[in-house]
Amino acid sequence: MRKALVIVTTVLLVAFVLQFAFAAVGAFTKPASEGAYALHSVTGMAVIPVLILLTALFAVLAKAPGRLIGLAILPLGLVVLQALIAMLANASTDAAGASTPVGLTIAGLHALNGIIAVHVVVSVHQAARKLARPAPAGATQVTVREGEPA
Amino acid sequence: MTVGSLLAADLVIAVLAAAGWLGGGAASAARRRRLALGLAAFALLATFARAITITTLARAGWWFAAEKILIAAPLSLAAVVVAGPRLLRAPVDIRSVAVPLLFAGYAESSALLVTILHGYPASAGAGLLAVAGVVAATAVSWRALGARPSRMVSRGAVVVAVAALVTGTGLAAVPGAAPAVPHDHRHGDARTVGEPTRRFTLTAGTATVSVSGRDVAAWAFNGQVPGPELTATVGDVLEVTLRNRDIARGVTLHWHGYDVPNSQDGVPGVTQAAVLPGQEFVYRFRADQAGTYWYHTHSVSDLGVRMGLYGVLVVRPAPVTGVDVTVPVHTLAGLPLPAPKTEPVEAGAPVRLRLINTDSTTHRYALAGTPFRVAAIDGSDLQGPTPLVDTAVLIPAGGRYDLVFTAPVTPVALFVDARVVYSTGPMSAATGAWPVLDPLTYGVASPVPWSRFDRAFTLVLDRGLDLHGLLPRYAHTVNGAADPDIPPQVVRHGDIVKFTIANRSLVVHPWHLHGHHVLVLSRNGRPATGSPLWLDSFDVRPGDVWEVAFPADNPGMWANHCHNLAHADAGMTLHLMYA
Repeated sequence: MRKALVIVTTVLLVAFVLQFAFAAVGAFTKPASEGAYALHSVTGMAVIPVLILLTALFAVLAKAPGRLIGLAILPLGLVVLQALIAMLANASTDAAGASTPVGLTIAGLHALNGIIAVHVVVSVHQAARKLARPAPAGATQVTVREGEPA
Repeated sequence: MTVGSLLAADLVIAVLAAAGWLGGGAASAARRRRLALGLAAFALLATFARAITITTLARAGWWFAAEKILIAAPLSLAAVVVAGPRLLRAPVDIRSVAVPLLFAGYAESSALLVTILHGYPASAGAGLLAVAGVVAATAVSWRALGARPSRMVSRGAVVVAVAALVTGTGLAAVPGAAPAVPHDHRHGDARTVGEPTRRFTLTAGTATVSVSGRDVAAWAFNGQVPGPELTATVGDVLEVTLRNRDIARGVTLHWHGYDVPNSQDGVPGVTQAAVLPGQEFVYRFRADQAGTYWYHTHSVSDLGVRMGLYGVLVVRPAPVTGVDVTVPVHTLAGLPLPAPKTEPVEAGAPVRLRLINTDSTTHRYALAGTPFRVAAIDGSDLQGPTPLVDTAVLIPAGGRYDLVFTAPVTPVALFVDARVVYSTGPMSAATGAWPVLDPLTYGVASPVPWSRFDRAFTLVLDRGLDLHGLLPRYAHTVNGAADPDIPPQVVRHGDIVKFTIANRSLVVHPWHLHGHHVLVLSRNGRPATGSPLWLDSFDVRPGDVWEVAFPADNPGMWANHCHNLAHADAGMTLHLMYA
């Protein structure tokens, strides 16, 4: 199960890397249109949330410590927030539909939140790898709660 | 603060409250006492702030607050009741408040998800699913945090969660009233309109057109974007033969704003079948409504219109006198159309600029260098329009404004989103700070011609998860449903019909009813005080509530949709049908 957790966190990390690439695809597609972000939207609103839920599920099944489970589920909140920021940024236009400084500031938060989310996923991935590594006999008690197989 | 920005603020506050509770829960689980208490206090504050935004939204209209009052408020109350007292008792071991704080966080988060994914109308199904999510997440956290709940609490939680999940899913999955739109060719088919006096042929096909010096792949009528300008004089009978050369997904012609008999309306699958490559369809109707209109394909309309399948239709009351210019604004492959045009106009000549917005979003038009009047909107003349100076107009997607003025000696220029599109000579002007005309207060009023309404419909525009198709989609919805699951509005010939249209989403929805013009009664509770406005395209902005009415005098099956065509494709289309 711990191996599976490492694998699914790796896939999640790859999905995040691709997500940044898809954002660039959207930004550099000419002519600019909403449709250019289709890959980015689908990955962000469907693929990544499913992978996060899988990660959390595997973390529970792998009897990971509560901290790791919490850390694994945190990106889900950040992803929902991410979609909300995008919606708010798109909504903050002037009457003729052009961008406003406020809207662009909110859009900036979309990038910052993305960086935060990917950092959390990196931490989850590292913690999962640490968990999968056969721990030295003396150290097991520190990370594993009572009643669980080391 | 407008209702639109209040809707956005409420979302932000809900996010802060959820994040505060969840963060506080995580901090207390990690025994970070000060951080946990700080975040919890912040969350409590945000939760109370949300009570204010929800109350204010409810006062603006039940539509804006329904699910917040029925689902978010009870969940928030539960959050405060569970988490609040524990905090006040200032526990010795901060870890003991982790579960209550997380519970509050889950409650706030699920309420937020109900607003984002489900919206209006609030349903028992969504509420129960939210409860199931909160109970399940709390139970899992409780176990994960080590301090396991007693067996009874555990079992109780499982029972509640499962019961709520099953009932909620059951209620949410029940197929709503989704009557198929009858395919109806009866209305107006046999109507004889007389021998055509104006004949046109439009051949749709892929083409490469030149825009600002760049070659662009387009879909075009007769190889040009926009398509040929169709003109007629009142009394003519128009006959337009539509041929499709190679548009694989089919084409039709919809006469936007021109109230044709239903059989000529050009909505595929409703008034006719889409014209496939090699096929043709002949439209014939009487030119009896003078004004500025446009035509466009209604088959894969979002893509088709964007790619260039549109053109201008002008019906004049009499042969042209003076200068008469059409300005159909469009964005083709990211490039603005039409190309700027400069023509000298003799001083004293009467000029009519027919401004048309064929895009899916609003454009801002500013006429500099002369006083002008708005003579007509959406093809209907205004009553007693007064001269305007240094005033911009916002034209919704699909809308038309006719500006008239007498040419001055000095140059005049028309700016569209700060780009000069038409001018009578070199001139520059900063129009960005100009005030915008509110047509609801412009011109001379007339009393509303009806004292009562035979039918009243409410359309609440929102976004929501639509699970009825093959793939789930985040649809643009009307009354919580997306096309083809929105029940048709049924009227009888002769009814006076009233629409109340409320937009609780965060984006503008340019509303467009086929086959009729609607008279604006009020916007956001304030009655229209200007000239009677008979519109076919009007922007319902976030937080706006429009009341409009029309006589049901054109029998048939009519599309009634958002003219941001991407929104229409994503579910925001319904039908008005005559019983």
